[in-house]
Amino acid sequence: MKLTEFIKDRFTAYLIFVLTWVLMLIFLFTFHVQTEAVVIASVLLWIGRCIAEAWEFLRKKQFYDKLLHDLSELDQKYLLSEMIGEPEFREGRILSEVMRETNKSMCEQIGLHRRANSDFREYIELWVHEIKLPVASLQLMCHNDGNVKYAEQLKRIDDYIENVLYYARSRNAEKDYLIKPVSLKRVFTDTAIRNREELQQRGISLSTEKLDAEVMTDAKWLGFMFGQLMNNSMKYGADAITVTAEDTPEATVLRFRDNGIGIPESDLPCIFEKSFTGENGRTHSKSTGMGLYIVRQLCEKLGHSVAAESVQGEYTEIIMTFGKNDLHDVR
Amino acid sequence: MKRILIIEDDTVLRDELTILLQNTGYEAAAVTQYQDILNQMLAAQTDLILLDINLPETNGETLLQEFRKQRDTPVIMLTSRTAEIDEVLSMSFGADDFITKPYNPTILLLRISAVLKRTAKTAAAQMYHDAEVSSVKGSITRNGSEQVLTKNEMIIFQLLLERQGEIVTRDALMTALWDNDEFINDNALSVNISRLRGKLAELGFPNAIETRKKQGYVLK
Repeated sequence: MKLTEFIKDRFTAYLIFVLTWVLMLIFLFTFHVQTEAVVIASVLLWIGRCIAEAWEFLRKKQFYDKLLHDLSELDQKYLLSEMIGEPEFREGRILSEVMRETNKSMCEQIGLHRRANSDFREYIELWVHEIKLPVASLQLMCHNDGNVKYAEQLKRIDDYIENVLYYARSRNAEKDYLIKPVSLKRVFTDTAIRNREELQQRGISLSTEKLDAEVMTDAKWLGFMFGQLMNNSMKYGADAITVTAEDTPEATVLRFRDNGIGIPESDLPCIFEKSFTGENGRTHSKSTGMGLYIVRQLCEKLGHSVAAESVQGEYTEIIMTFGKNDLHDVR
Repeated sequence: MKRILIIEDDTVLRDELTILLQNTGYEAAAVTQYQDILNQMLAAQTDLILLDINLPETNGETLLQEFRKQRDTPVIMLTSRTAEIDEVLSMSFGADDFITKPYNPTILLLRISAVLKRTAKTAAAQMYHDAEVSSVKGSITRNGSEQVLTKNEMIIFQLLLERQGEIVTRDALMTALWDNDEFINDNALSVNISRLRGKLAELGFPNAIETRKKQGYVLK
């Protein structure tokens, strides 16, 4: 709080003071009071007023400066009401009371939404587990009857269900994963088998190199991410997928490369963003813009990093880096 | 014939599993009364148990824990939950494998045969008629003459041999190959089978592998 601001704010009060003082002077002079007495009275009046104003200014300045300072320092601004303390003057007490009340009401609202949100997420997870039963039954029926056509569609349904599950979970993954040494080869092979029919139908060849490395991650989530990447390769015209891993003392770097249509340079920085479909999404195949977004979310939660390189018309390469620091190595 | 006991409370899934296993040449029985499953498990003369985790009134993990105190029959856990913790728990209670629903049927069958093979006490050399099959050397020997098989050919031959006399689908062969990191395509499978036929013929088994149109292959 600046002094000029304070004075500007109090301008009306000062105006009234000066007016009353002038009126007082006129009044006193009309009654022929001694000039000395008038001067002394005026000086006393002015000194008293100045002291009162200075005191008012200082205690307000102290309070509001601290308030603004706390506000700028706070990470979560809504916690300010906890910091404000009990001010000495009335306005400050009203302010702190109001802040406390609004905060309380906001917390209740947030709690309400948080509960609704987690109820919904729990319901989704439950639903996913329930729907998997009939899907499993149908898959077995298709297999027993040798019906490939239906099996393909079921596979798609199953993929979409997985998507929902992982999206619902990706927000608070910390509750739901298990980090342990995982063989990249094992996870990749399982994912490949899951997608085998579609891969073969599209004549996509797979090759792996140096996948023997073990990384600290969650096997199911990694499998899901591989599935997403494979789906993208299939969607965007690849006929070969090469997966290589490079093991250094600091990290294991996995490169998932396909020779599909690639990604335009202008779209490349955005592909991991939510609901981003880009040029390929518009011109080639229906895209929800969720696949790579979920992949990045999961990677962040698991402590991996993910990046993409591409040359349009040549290749797309998704690079995942699995750290090897103490945090991840629990053995 | 290997006997498999199915413990799964979803009736449709249970029936389809039974059909799948029977079609593949196992003797499949299913538990239909969910009271006192443990005693039924103990009483059943079975080579392998497929056990669902979510069961009425109890859960598979507790059952498994109790069962393991008395028997070491192989158990494969089935679940629709995809939580890793279930897997770890099951494994620590002594499950031999763990599969999440919905499962690829061929993968399920592969896992079953892998568990059965692992637990089979008779680790004697595999024989095909009077020829000795060595998966370690990757070769078949008959009357002193030896044919070396490639990795792919060996995988195919072993699967056919395991189910000798039965139809093995191309799909099953393909899944087995992919499971061993051999991501080959349809043409390559045909090539591998015809090479395998050639090698078997050299050993004096012409027409050992019979093609069943639109169904698969049978090793005679």
